Amino acid sequence: MDPSEVDFLSEKQHVKILPNFKEGRIFLISGDLGPFEPGLTAEVPLWMAVNLKQRKKCRIIPPDWMNIGQLEERKDEEKEREYFTEMPSKSYLELASLLLKSARDDIPHADEVQTLIKDIWEIRMAKLRKSINIMMQEKETHARLDNLTHLEINSIRPFLTSALDRMHILRCNVVENPSTGTDY
Amino acid sequence: MAENKERGSLSDILNDSVDSEINEDEGEEVTAAEVLERLEQAWLNEKFAPELLESKVELVECMLDQIKEMEENLKEAGKGDLVGSLHRLEIQRIRYVISSYLKIRLKKIEKYAFHIMEPSNDKTDYISRLSAEEHVYAKEYCKNVEDLLKSLALDDMPPNINSLDKKKSVPQPNLDSYLFMKVLQPQEQVELDPDDQPTDLEEGAQHLVRYSVISSLLENGAVALT
Repeated sequence: MDPSEVDFLSEKQHVKILPNFKEGRIFLISGDLGPFEPGLTAEVPLWMAVNLKQRKKCRIIPPDWMNIGQLEERKDEEKEREYFTEMPSKSYLELASLLLKSARDDIPHADEVQTLIKDIWEIRMAKLRKSINIMMQEKETHARLDNLTHLEINSIRPFLTSALDRMHILRCNVVENPSTGTDY
Repeated sequence: MAENKERGSLSDILNDSVDSEINEDEGEEVTAAEVLERLEQAWLNEKFAPELLESKVELVECMLDQIKEMEENLKEAGKGDLVGSLHRLEIQRIRYVISSYLKIRLKKIEKYAFHIMEPSNDKTDYISRLSAEEHVYAKEYCKNVEDLLKSLALDDMPPNINSLDKKKSVPQPNLDSYLFMKVLQPQEQVELDPDDQPTDLEEGAQHLVRYSVISSLLENGAVALT
């Protein structure tokens, strides 16, 4: 899947905004939103929040996990646990990078937040590479990967699936011709 | 020449879906938001599955009707109108999903055209998975390719090698290809690998498996590709 499509999917999730305009309910195909009053929070999909922000129609309220304290806790937890921890959002990195790009002034301590999220991503990717390595060594034919987010799956998909497809063909050949088979 | 024809039938398919009637014969009340969600899942499933899946053209048509209606309402809204512009943005997003979905299907149909149109070759009846428009397209595509191969080369070959053995030479989807899936409805004792113990699939769990072991679960909506 193209990375832009991963972003596209992440833009569906809802975020809170503080509008500076007055508007009744909006009846979108994907559901009703609003009403909007200046100074009162409202929930909208991310794509709309970013669009309104670009037009200076609102401030985006960052999700409550997007602060230094919580992110540091999550980072430590991610380091300690053997398996992947559940992230606060199925697309935490997409959400964070989009907000940091388009609404940086709405996020307190944006630089630190950015670094922490990148750290978490890197810890998780290292874990992912390690688990793939184990999977290959154990010659597993399937794997369970709970709590992996879209972008993480997408980043290993092309390599991992085609490598496993190859290995499956090799394995089938060995089953069909056992006499010529080596380890695989 | 052949290309022009293809393009013609492609736009026919798109136009036809707009014209045809909304299909709500499933006997259940669904909101537009739910239809959109199902369409988005169908899009992702189609994107990752190696073979052609069941056509969800009724979802596409339902969404196209919604869009049409919305655009009708938007005609009165001016350019600078805030709400109107948000509606337009949403329509663009839905249009993207619809056209990507239809394009992925057309690509698969073109790639596996002979495999799909050859009824006897395997247990899956692909023709029933095509929408009416896709069926016409697949038929024409097969005929055009076959005519092209004949006029270009086969007719000039010696008689012993001038026929096309479709069974041997056509591309087929690799049903054993690996993919990521998530469990929507819990399942008990699923054989993810013939040599292994059957596993229970817990709701919300994600697995990396071969398509062939979960294709039936995908069909009845117990799992989704991700």
